[in-house]
Amino acid sequence: MTETAFEVPAEPPVRPRVSPIAPCFLAWLVPGLGHAWLGRRGRAAAFFLVVLATFVLGIASGGASTVIDGQQPLSYLAVVDNLAMGPFDGIARRMTLGELVYRLPDPEGNPRRQEILSRVRDRVRIPTYEYGSTFLLTAGLMNLLLILDAFDIASGRKD
Amino acid sequence: MLRSHFLNMALFSVLVSIFFAFLTQTTGRKRVQVMLVMGGSMIVLSLIVAYVMYPFPLPR
Repeated sequence: MTETAFEVPAEPPVRPRVSPIAPCFLAWLVPGLGHAWLGRRGRAAAFFLVVLATFVLGIASGGASTVIDGQQPLSYLAVVDNLAMGPFDGIARRMTLGELVYRLPDPEGNPRRQEILSRVRDRVRIPTYEYGSTFLLTAGLMNLLLILDAFDIASGRKD
Repeated sequence: MLRSHFLNMALFSVLVSIFFAFLTQTTGRKRVQVMLVMGGSMIVLSLIVAYVMYPFPLPR
């Protein structure tokens, strides 16, 4: 055995830890802001531009924010995903559905429900609605990952 | 508004690959590698799947 076989492995780098609450909240508020707060300015700018481009393309392509429909359980997940964009989700709802609406009112014959559904149908008629909604959902998923990434950096698990 | 399926798919692939390159890598060179491999794979695999699905149209 050579002496090198008994060498002590290098110590893992000690990463500074901070409370993850502020960076996670900032990351939810504006995509990339959590990373900027943690000193990762370059990555923050890239994340902001990419997530914002995805979000803007979603609206421009005729996508619509999802509303909770009790008969469609997956709509709950989609709304949570939309909400991951923070205040941007409010902007998207105003632009695509005309108001801040998160749930279709019950029962079926409710005129308010019909009014919201007609706005959703107007968006669905746009040929690129599916692309737009996918872009919007993807922007939400990206920001969810950014929130988790900010949490990892703040906790010292990642550079 | 982009009406082309291919352009929408290509744009989506580019944005997603840039995002994951910056999320998972720290050096410029590695980021470019991830962007090219991920973006290229998404576009090429989507085209392959599209051609495989071509003989099986949706029932009318």
